[in-house]
Amino acid sequence: MFYGCLVLSILGGFFVRFYLHPHLFFSWQSLPIFAALYGFVGCVIIILGSKALGHFWLSKKEDYYETHLPKQRKES
Amino acid sequence: MMAWFHPGLIYIVGGPFIPLLKGRLKKAYLLLLPCLAFVNLLLMSKGVFLSNGKTWSLLFLGYNLVLGRIDPLSLIFAYVFVIASFCMILYALHIQDDGQHVAAYLYVGSTLGVVFSGDLITLFFFWEIMAWSALLLIWYRKTTAAYGAGFRYILVHFFGGACLLAGILIHVHTTGSISFEVFRWGAGWSWGNVACSLILIAFLINAAVPPFHAWLADAYPEATVTGAVFLTAFTTKSAVYVLIRGFPGLELLTWLGAIMAVYGVVFAVLENDIRRLLAYHIISQVGYMVAGVGMGVLGTAAGEMALNGSTAHAFCHILYKALLFMGAGAVLAVTGKSKLTELGGLYKSMPITFHLYMVGAYSISGFPLFNGFVSKTMVVEASGMWHRPVIYLMLEGAAIGTFLHTGLKLPWGVWFSKEKPACEAKEPPFNMLVAMGIMAFLCTLIGVYPKILYDILPYPVHYEPYSPILVVGMSQLLLFTFVAFWLLRKMLHGEPTISLDLDWFYRMAGRKVMWFCQEPLMTFARFVDRKVMDLVHYVVWFSRNPAEALSIKKEEILHQRLSEKREKYPGELPKMSVGASLLLILLFFWLYLILHLIWGS
Repeated sequence: MFYGCLVLSILGGFFVRFYLHPHLFFSWQSLPIFAALYGFVGCVIIILGSKALGHFWLSKKEDYYETHLPKQRKES
Repeated sequence: MMAWFHPGLIYIVGGPFIPLLKGRLKKAYLLLLPCLAFVNLLLMSKGVFLSNGKTWSLLFLGYNLVLGRIDPLSLIFAYVFVIASFCMILYALHIQDDGQHVAAYLYVGSTLGVVFSGDLITLFFFWEIMAWSALLLIWYRKTTAAYGAGFRYILVHFFGGACLLAGILIHVHTTGSISFEVFRWGAGWSWGNVACSLILIAFLINAAVPPFHAWLADAYPEATVTGAVFLTAFTTKSAVYVLIRGFPGLELLTWLGAIMAVYGVVFAVLENDIRRLLAYHIISQVGYMVAGVGMGVLGTAAGEMALNGSTAHAFCHILYKALLFMGAGAVLAVTGKSKLTELGGLYKSMPITFHLYMVGAYSISGFPLFNGFVSKTMVVEASGMWHRPVIYLMLEGAAIGTFLHTGLKLPWGVWFSKEKPACEAKEPPFNMLVAMGIMAFLCTLIGVYPKILYDILPYPVHYEPYSPILVVGMSQLLLFTFVAFWLLRKMLHGEPTISLDLDWFYRMAGRKVMWFCQEPLMTFARFVDRKVMDLVHYVVWFSRNPAEALSIKKEEILHQRLSEKREKYPGELPKMSVGASLLLILLFFWLYLILHLIWGS
């Protein structure tokens, strides 16, 4: 069923583009499967890019801030 | 006679009576207050409670305070705040801690105060109450993390409040007016521009616009289960409201909005805590609204579309984000856990919660037939109307990330991903499920029948969300996002980490300040303290009998000098010059000669 939805959405893209001739704001919208490509590629980029950002820079151990607090605060 | 009763006062005045009631009466009272406020709004919208045209004002210190500015923009925000407060208090109905209810109603009431304020003094007054009451909702969690996050929250909002007050004072000084209208920037440097900038910074802080956003993801996940649901709706959306009022069409906001829409989804990938993940999506979703305000040039079709889009998205966002936080809060309430690494496989234990949560997830993701679709696409459409390709792609890209996290990663990690449940779980209390059910119903209703929302928007709506190109485009986008997620789902398992955000700067700066206070500053303080106390003791001693004291001191000084002389005695002998020595030798010889002459002969 899911594969059916995928195929239907692609066919819908072609149908809308070549049969209904909607008003388009940008040139890339003339590509009937642009949204599908953007969704797939965008998702991959978000996952890989964010994971790389976290791995090399932003992700820290859960007690990061606790271990960096001043002594008196830590005791309290 | 008071011609108009402020709906916010129903909450603010009614709240303190909550602890006086018990049992079912208290529950009925809690639900009654939002109902009264809603009736008040309905009557207000029909012009029953208007005293002076469309405003209700009060003379204060020579200024005309406008506590009630009633127009389509303030009314639509008030509607959604009141509706949301009803569902939220229903969600929190089982909570025995009356203080939380009082704080929550103070929070709602003050937000309504902000929405209806027609002047800057009234705005500031309710703005500050809003910050303090929100703080209470965080601190009621009563954990060390909540206390810390609450302190950071209020410090950031102190800064924002100070900026707002300074901006208002300069604005009033330069213009002579306290009315809250669209702020106009002049050319070049002027005090008027400084005032506008300060007020804008205050609004951006409350809207959690980067780089002023970190307080949100820091504080909201640390709030109580029910308090966090309240927090999702009011501070940021009231900030969007004041931005629409004060800065429509400001180009800077378009870019800040688009950046924050993407920023939120990037950080959400890294999050392990489900409520923090959702908090980052508040930032992302408010980005659409802020971008809409930036594109909302008054008097243009595209601008009105953008402002309608921002307003509609704020309305829908309050509903679906509260529903999402209710779902995540329900998991936290029954399991005591909120980290993806500690959750999983809960579907069999909490199927109703899952399905209700998913309605919120479909809504925020912008699935057709859910409310996010009918509002989010308005802002994206506005970017198309303005021919802003980069903004368009950034907003569409943020939609991908939104579905990825709230619609796929979070439910996958909490309710599936493991064959056996990671912990014991059951459905939450009935009142929580009913509240979620109402929210889910509203999300779906608006999605299916958007006219109900479009009719109350501030500008006439010339937009059809269910056009084939939009429906097909959104379907392709979301379905193929799912395909990518499925292929890479193993990368999206939670990891026991936290991610550094811009709060790192003030948390680390805070550490340095703490060290400075504890070490050099305290040493200096102790020194000054000792010297001052010595002086005080001496003055007290001296004042008892100054004449005798002077005498004693004189003798002490003399005695001291005598002692010094005695100690030094014989001291160093005086050194003589060569000439003096020769003279002495010469005198000695002279003496010898005389003696020799006398005695020798």
